[in-house]
Amino acid sequence: MLEKKIITQLRNVVGKDAVLTSREDLNAYSYDGTTTWTHAPDVVVLPTTAEQVSQILKLADESKIPVTPRGAGTNVSGGSIPIKGGIVLCTTRMNKILDINKTNLTATVEPGVVLQDFNIALAKQGLFYPPDPQSFLGCTIGGTVAENAGGPYCVKYGVTKQYVLGLEVVLANGYIMNLGGVTVKNRTGYELIMLFTGSEGTLGLITKITLRLIPMPPANKTMMAVFDDMAVGGQAVSNIMASGVVPAKIEFVDNFVLRRIEEMTPMGLPVDAKALLLLQADGSPAAVEAESKQIVDILKKSGAKEIKVAKDASEAAMYWKMRSAGFAATFGAAHTVMAEDVAVPRDKLVEFIRKLDEISERTGFFICYLGHAGDGNLHPSIFTDIRNKEEFARAQKAMEEIFEAALSLGGVLSGEHGIGLEKQRFLKKAMDPVALNLMRKIKTILDPNHILNPGKIWEEERV
Amino acid sequence: MAKSKQDRYEQIKRFEADLTKCMKCGFCTFWCPVYQEERIEPSVARGKNMMIRGLLAGELDYTKEYADRLNKCTLCMTCTANCPSKANIPNVIVAARADMVKARGLKFPYNIIYRWLLPRRTLFGRVIRFASWFQGIFLPKTEGTIRHLSMFLSALGKGRNIPQIAPRFLRQMVPVVNKPPGGVKATMTVGYFTGCMTDFVLPDLGKHVIDFLTRNGVEVIVPGEQGCCGAPVFLGAGDFDTGRKMADSNVKAFEGLDYVISDCATCTSALKDYPKFLADTPEREEAYAKFAGKILDISQFLVDVLKLPASAYKPSAQVKGKKITWHDPCHLSRHLGITSQPRQIIKSIPDIEYVEMPNADRCCGMAGSFSMYYYDLSKQIADKKVEAIKSTGADIVASSCPGCEIQLIDSLLRNKVPVKVMHIMELLE
Repeated sequence: MLEKKIITQLRNVVGKDAVLTSREDLNAYSYDGTTTWTHAPDVVVLPTTAEQVSQILKLADESKIPVTPRGAGTNVSGGSIPIKGGIVLCTTRMNKILDINKTNLTATVEPGVVLQDFNIALAKQGLFYPPDPQSFLGCTIGGTVAENAGGPYCVKYGVTKQYVLGLEVVLANGYIMNLGGVTVKNRTGYELIMLFTGSEGTLGLITKITLRLIPMPPANKTMMAVFDDMAVGGQAVSNIMASGVVPAKIEFVDNFVLRRIEEMTPMGLPVDAKALLLLQADGSPAAVEAESKQIVDILKKSGAKEIKVAKDASEAAMYWKMRSAGFAATFGAAHTVMAEDVAVPRDKLVEFIRKLDEISERTGFFICYLGHAGDGNLHPSIFTDIRNKEEFARAQKAMEEIFEAALSLGGVLSGEHGIGLEKQRFLKKAMDPVALNLMRKIKTILDPNHILNPGKIWEEERV
Repeated sequence: MAKSKQDRYEQIKRFEADLTKCMKCGFCTFWCPVYQEERIEPSVARGKNMMIRGLLAGELDYTKEYADRLNKCTLCMTCTANCPSKANIPNVIVAARADMVKARGLKFPYNIIYRWLLPRRTLFGRVIRFASWFQGIFLPKTEGTIRHLSMFLSALGKGRNIPQIAPRFLRQMVPVVNKPPGGVKATMTVGYFTGCMTDFVLPDLGKHVIDFLTRNGVEVIVPGEQGCCGAPVFLGAGDFDTGRKMADSNVKAFEGLDYVISDCATCTSALKDYPKFLADTPEREEAYAKFAGKILDISQFLVDVLKLPASAYKPSAQVKGKKITWHDPCHLSRHLGITSQPRQIIKSIPDIEYVEMPNADRCCGMAGSFSMYYYDLSKQIADKKVEAIKSTGADIVASSCPGCEIQLIDSLLRNKVPVKVMHIMELLE
């Protein structure tokens, strides 16, 4: 518990309405989008300016109070859970779009701007910000930068870090630091922006973000392909990528997810399909026409059982809505869902799918997956029940095998969700020990008292 | 003796499937009108659901803060309509309100109003009449047809612009049986559930509904025994016991009729909700389900049952040549799925221009007693609706829920936007 004095000081900084202390309210900040982790904070603070954030951090640093930054809490890594209690610093009220510049093709926003609100504002001006984590309806841009989030569009357009041009970051000691600017080119010193992008709230609090934009592609076309065999679907993805055409999105849905989605929202999906690929080509109308024709050809040659090209925007929207319901479909399927986020090199996708089948057979756990096939980033999920200790331990073991399989193929532990709490057990295996040690040193330089999001990324006892 | 946990959370347990369906994705934050204003997690469906789970787990209790967070929901159902898991959290919220009221009772003055006054229609009418004598004396008349209402209603309304209480109530203006005029053959008989607002505040609307129906060959029965639909009592306040009394008497009042129509979206939806929330015995379950099956919104009745030709919809004198937009009441659109019928009716009217407003189905923030508890929040939600209405350039915003209409009148006046608010039936000659 925090001293009353601290609460009073926090109230003095942000005002009474922006400090939450009731048990009911603290309960509401004890979880995120994961099923496994919960821990309540001692207080929730909702600042509206960088100056307020600075004062909160100064206060916390002096009294060595843990501070867990949080946006909308839609993350699926445990990253925004205040596992050490203390302060949740929630940015949802810092939600102003400060500038959209059509000439510079940049936008500057506060961290609490919701991605979908941002997308709507950009669309009005014919602009496009590609990183599209499927939590876009809820997630804040600050959160997507701190997690270096990706999504379906990243196969063609890259992840969040490829779009961050400038940041305002409040350091643990309260200093408000500016990094980068609004220019696409900037070769001034180290790429410190990249240090904070993907830092999962452990190095500083992002209070302002300048993002690179691109003009909205004038045309797009959505295609759906059905496969009898998941590996054949995976091979089709590799064939497309090797053919010289880069679709805007290539998404993969397995039979289980497909059935669940059709159950939740009947839309006439081919529920017998073992695997379904959802693809989109975008660009100028002529390019879209040519690319989609090429994609359909390759899909046919690769053994697709059925191919559908969306007739219009509403049919396309239906397919993509299905995809975004995918996580809901898996997360609602069991008490505890261990949804992982490994990514493998694209040319190892088929091999990885086969390994997943093997692991499933050997461990007896059903493994379902959906994800971004185009960039080798799948989300294999194991259904279990954390209340059943014995089973949960076995499930964790099975998940470990999945990680090992991905790593052995040259893959990574997390493609887009971040390490947070969920994956820290495996970090040692997935990183060069010298690099891991360097991360710790950086952390200690920037946050000597370890107040910022403590307990995340690396395992506790080593801190 | 301490009640078992099962008993304590009797109503919540009935909606356990909804409670557990939420998988915490947080997408509801984008849709929730309350969250959009407050931007804090306890405002949104996910937060409320987790709070109720906390209650069940014994981590939380019935505190002032718990009640406050639970009450701060308009039950607009936008979260459910957009939920990837289709978790109906408003169900859980209503149930949790009921369990809380059962355990802790209602607070003054709501206990008096909900338990004692609303179930007694005639007495309620007299109290309202009594209050209305003072409304012009103590408070200045505001613009248009709106006045501040004095006495306890004003205390509840916290100074909002409330329409004047009618000099004569609908029940005093019309007989029980209203036959079609001479020369028009009666093809059908319907019961008319008038609702408190139409009865006490908008009797002319009620008269107009009856005239329109009788002219189109419908015999309209207005049973005197009907009362309040119970929405503020069992949905808003969670008082299921009183809700059952009201439901029982309404079911009885309309016995023997095949159709019961209502011009108030909230009433329509609440009457249809009797079996879901209030059926505690097999008898009630049967009676409520049968009753709910008879209930139709007026536009649904005209379009789907009576199947009136487009030519039946002629503009009333005051709407000719005007630009009209439509506000979807939550209770009509998301609760009952009625969105095309009212639009079909309005678009059939000659000599008017129909214009769709952006986010026409976004909650206006009224939500009955919600707007009494949280008037400031309710106003903030309403201001977004005002912006949407303004952007259409419409002369008239039509709806079919007197609750929404009060909110729209109040917010348009407050924002000095000269758009007239009308019930869909008032558009028709």
